[in-house]
Amino acid sequence: MLFGLLCITFAIARVVPGDPARLAAGPDANEDMVETLRAKYGLDQPVPVQFVRYLRGVLVGDLGQSLRSRNAVADDLLRYFPNTFELVTLSLLLAVALGIPLGMLSAVYKDTWVDHTARIVSVSGVALPAFWLGLMLQLVIALHLGLLPLGGRLPLTASPPEPITHLLLVDALLRGQGDTFVAALRHAVLPVVTLCFPALTSIMRVNRAEMIETLKQDYIQSARAQGFSGLRIVTRYALRNAMIPTLTMIGLRYGWMLGGTVLVETVFDWPGIGLYAVNAAVSSDFQPIMGVTLLIGVNFMLANLLVDFAYGWLDPRIRRPGGA
Amino acid sequence: MTITRLGGRLLVTTLAVLVATAPAVAFERAGDRKILVFAGRQEVPTIDPSVKYDWSIRMMQQALYDGLVKYVGNPPEIVPWLAERWEVSPDARTWTFHLVKNARFHNGDPVTAEAVRFSFARTLKLNQGPAWMLSAFLKEDGIKVLGDSTIQFTLTRPYAPFLSFLPWWYVMNPKQVLANQQGDDLGQKWLTSNAAGSGPFRIKRWQQGVLYEIEAVDGYWKGWPSKDHVGGVILKLVREAAAQRAALLRGEADIVEGLSADDFDQVAKTPGIVVPNVPGMTTFGIKMNTQKGPTKDVNFRKAIAYAFDYGALVKIYNGNAVLQTSPFPNATRGHVAVPDFYRQDLAKAKELLARSAHPTGGIELEYVYVQGLEEERKMGLVLIDNLAKLGLKVKMVPLTWPNMVARGAKVETAPDMMAVFTTPVSTDPDAVAYQYHRDSWGKYYGSHFYANEEVWALIERARTLARWEDRAPLYLEIQRRIAADAPEIFGMLANRRWGMRDHVKGFVFSPVRFTGEVDLYSLAITAK
Repeated sequence: MLFGLLCITFAIARVVPGDPARLAAGPDANEDMVETLRAKYGLDQPVPVQFVRYLRGVLVGDLGQSLRSRNAVADDLLRYFPNTFELVTLSLLLAVALGIPLGMLSAVYKDTWVDHTARIVSVSGVALPAFWLGLMLQLVIALHLGLLPLGGRLPLTASPPEPITHLLLVDALLRGQGDTFVAALRHAVLPVVTLCFPALTSIMRVNRAEMIETLKQDYIQSARAQGFSGLRIVTRYALRNAMIPTLTMIGLRYGWMLGGTVLVETVFDWPGIGLYAVNAAVSSDFQPIMGVTLLIGVNFMLANLLVDFAYGWLDPRIRRPGGA
Repeated sequence: MTITRLGGRLLVTTLAVLVATAPAVAFERAGDRKILVFAGRQEVPTIDPSVKYDWSIRMMQQALYDGLVKYVGNPPEIVPWLAERWEVSPDARTWTFHLVKNARFHNGDPVTAEAVRFSFARTLKLNQGPAWMLSAFLKEDGIKVLGDSTIQFTLTRPYAPFLSFLPWWYVMNPKQVLANQQGDDLGQKWLTSNAAGSGPFRIKRWQQGVLYEIEAVDGYWKGWPSKDHVGGVILKLVREAAAQRAALLRGEADIVEGLSADDFDQVAKTPGIVVPNVPGMTTFGIKMNTQKGPTKDVNFRKAIAYAFDYGALVKIYNGNAVLQTSPFPNATRGHVAVPDFYRQDLAKAKELLARSAHPTGGIELEYVYVQGLEEERKMGLVLIDNLAKLGLKVKMVPLTWPNMVARGAKVETAPDMMAVFTTPVSTDPDAVAYQYHRDSWGKYYGSHFYANEEVWALIERARTLARWEDRAPLYLEIQRRIAADAPEIFGMLANRRWGMRDHVKGFVFSPVRFTGEVDLYSLAITAK
């Protein structure tokens, strides 16, 4: 699958118009300078040769060099990906933490004001563009109320901790830098809320629909007849069965969020791979585009693998050979 | 319900913690240093002076390095910097520079003629960045060290504009560069985010994609223009205009660039914020393909040029722009207002159209512009409206910058009309005139594929003459002839604007700098 992804990305990168060497050389560069760069980065070689070289590099962890930043793509990804990973993971955790209970409440109190309110929130999540929500949060929470920073990951004069995991929040904790951790958390609130909102509403909708179906099942009626409490029936018996489609949605959302953070990263100056990829795309800088695509592909696969394992944990029938 | 109450308490507690630790506003301080915060949209992917330049890169290069000479003021003047004086031979081939004796690199090494030789040779050898400015005239063996403080450049042929490009050729410390060389890269990898200069600032933090912090060099060899000079500068990347504006209003940024005309007008009304508003050298023109399609016909091109509503260009910028009066920007040396320069005259436009192959219009022209650039889109709408009066339709085609450059690279693919902003890198008229030379074909500003052998000959002759008195009449003629051939709709020069907190002093504008670029050396903060 990853090989297919590489082939498609490489092919697309080569057929789009634009001369990456000319763009990298600068607007005033003469032909001689453009040719110098073309040769330096191997762009003067036939496309199949470039592809084989690229594949060889990928196998040893060399994702090529960015024409724009002049850095190794692997180094750039190491710098930017942990930021996106933190943003997406925190957003998804928040979306799950809020989306599932809200979906549950909405199903339990179906057609009441609780349900209607939750559905309004749910429709808003689909209707509101992320950049608009981000800008509004910045305007109200950061600019007018002054509660949180406008953007970035840390205050201007603060330095990040020496990297251990390259995840800022985790590194701050591991280094015992409480102030840095709090500062980083404050900077993360608005982007996390912005990115979380569409995911939250998707999770909530799916969870609500599944819960409504599950709550109609005979075994739920039977549990009620046996006098189990409402809370126990919903959380222990209904939710577990309703979680399978919700988990699928969470897995898919994770992949979408990894590849779709660019607007949030732009609004909040979050130095992640979304911005890195877009900057590369507008400069026809192929290697970073392929590196980012590959990385997102790998993460998407891993996320869905985890979801598959979680199916088994939730439903013992899936663990058995032959499945349910 | 217990869960709901618990969640509510958690939320309230979290908000209370966040409010209690809300950040302070205004410029940053590091000890007794006042650190200016510049919120800019553009990254600084490398600061290697031999590799790349654009406004953000050059702003940092100018802060970290020195050149032999420097552009200062408006109109821009070339003033001595590392070179205290120089001589040029009568044929403009041999240039001899005498260096100041007290200049020091940041590590304490003296700035010598050998360092200058190394730096120029390195840029020529790497053949990137500013190399194009001199590579046709200067070879490595033409650079001679005549003493510790004297260096001589012997050009392969006379080139009068030589001096005008030198402000962008920065001097590096050879010892530091070679000590950090990897393989035969001449220090390229290291110089991407490290500096080996003698400039007024040194690097403090370089967090790629986040911020770049430089600190003032105490005892800078050239001295500081103000006792309140900034103690350092943080170039913070703020990529969204709305966030830039908010940062300025909230006091989290001292300077912002790149806001829209409306945003600049609005922040200018805010107490505590000033907006310098000065004409730059960046021209906006709509290049017409002079070799293919209907715009190949000079009468057709002129008809379009006379049909265009130039006043609309100024309105798009809320009045913060001036119209071009010549193919050359106003700050270019030798600029003259060409008599009867193009302004809207529909009768004349119809008369010229009648002389073309499409006397009644009836065809569609393609207008290509940069996707997402609102001003260029509005200019396209003006074009649609204006050309409809000639019976011509306009198809607006937004393209990403790489795709647009690719379209303009070949005469076969260059569109009928292409919106282009161009900033010359020098005040010498050759820097603009050469955009109409055959050698500029295929570059984004050469997408008109303008061909006039007589004009080319004038351009080639003018650049080789040493005396300005001999060059000036040639440039007068060049401007007149290019205007007569109408290879483009000569548009306007938008004003350069920045939003600044009013405690920022010492801002010195020079139109030869790129959009957004500020000379950080002269800045001061007067607030306590």
